[in-house]
Amino acid sequence: MFKKFIPKEMVTNINNAKSSVQKGIRHQVLDQMPFAEDYIDQILPKKEALKIVKCQDHIEILAAQNGELLFFRHRDGDLYPTLKLLHKYPFILPHMQVDKGAIGFVLSGANIMCPGLTSPGARMTRVDKDTVVAIMAEGKDTAIAIGLTKLSTDDIISKNKGVGVENIHFLNDGLWQMKAVK
Amino acid sequence: MATADGGAERAFLVNEGPKKGVSYPIKLAYCGECTMPIEYCEYYVNYEKCKEWLQKNLPREFEKLSVTKEGEGDVEKKDDGGSGEEKKKRQTRGGKGLMKAKKKVEPQGIRMWTASRGKKKKVTIVVGLASYEIDLKDASKFFASKFSCGSSVSGDDEIVIQGDVKDDLFDYLPEKWSQIEEDDIEDMGEKK
Repeated sequence: MFKKFIPKEMVTNINNAKSSVQKGIRHQVLDQMPFAEDYIDQILPKKEALKIVKCQDHIEILAAQNGELLFFRHRDGDLYPTLKLLHKYPFILPHMQVDKGAIGFVLSGANIMCPGLTSPGARMTRVDKDTVVAIMAEGKDTAIAIGLTKLSTDDIISKNKGVGVENIHFLNDGLWQMKAVK
Repeated sequence: MATADGGAERAFLVNEGPKKGVSYPIKLAYCGECTMPIEYCEYYVNYEKCKEWLQKNLPREFEKLSVTKEGEGDVEKKDDGGSGEEKKKRQTRGGKGLMKAKKKVEPQGIRMWTASRGKKKKVTIVVGLASYEIDLKDASKFFASKFSCGSSVSGDDEIVIQGDVKDDLFDYLPEKWSQIEEDDIEDMGEKK
């Protein structure tokens, strides 16, 4: 989604969220990421207004008051944490670990193919289709990308072919390089 | 395939939430060259530059890196040797579209001109601030308040300040932004 994302051109405007919207987002975060509950006040402080950065192609990025990018979403869909946030709180998403050979591809924005998830170096969390997941890499501790599963874990194993997880946001893509907003 | 499947089945990960004994948020060190976490530097096109950066800024991490490399070095070399020729024949795997090296604009110095507006009024044109990673909008605001005059961003990397403030800029620019040296600033005389 952010492979060709040029912050300067793509951002259309930046607003502070209404408190009702902010509440909704808070709920959605807790809904999607139950493990974040203990840390939600750290991630989304109640007192501070959220910034909503509207971009082209119906992408919205949510940022903290200090400009740090936290979450993004496409239209009114699922919320995805940014990788910077995920690195701080790695437990908020289920992890999918790809094998070593896949790292290079993922870093250039490729979707994650099933074999890269079923090989000996890879490990999976059991999840359903259309789940937001953190893509980890064999032998590394930090997340490399954020993806959306296109097949459930069981289907990935049984089919073992084609795209298993769609690559939404990866290290060094446009969103990663985007600086804090003002 | 059966073994692979079996392996995957045995090794399901379970999301257990926050780990005990770890205080969140985790602070990660990012490479200043490729902006990625240090462990992914090796996948960057300009890995050599990353190493240089590491050596300069995080010598401890760099040492760790060289130690682990020595340990694994033999294994990795074997791997490379075996597939090396193949790699040459085919496109490097996973390498084709791999992030282009970031085109970092080297600071090219700041140039300024004065242009005349009407008969006796002058404006100062400042070019080159963006290459020092200065936000032009901020800068123009700063100038406006400093010189109590109008100031506007007029182009991609150009600020127009009303009035002739060239001399003052020599003092204020390095003062406000430490990355600017006084020698970087060049007076280009009148008009463009």
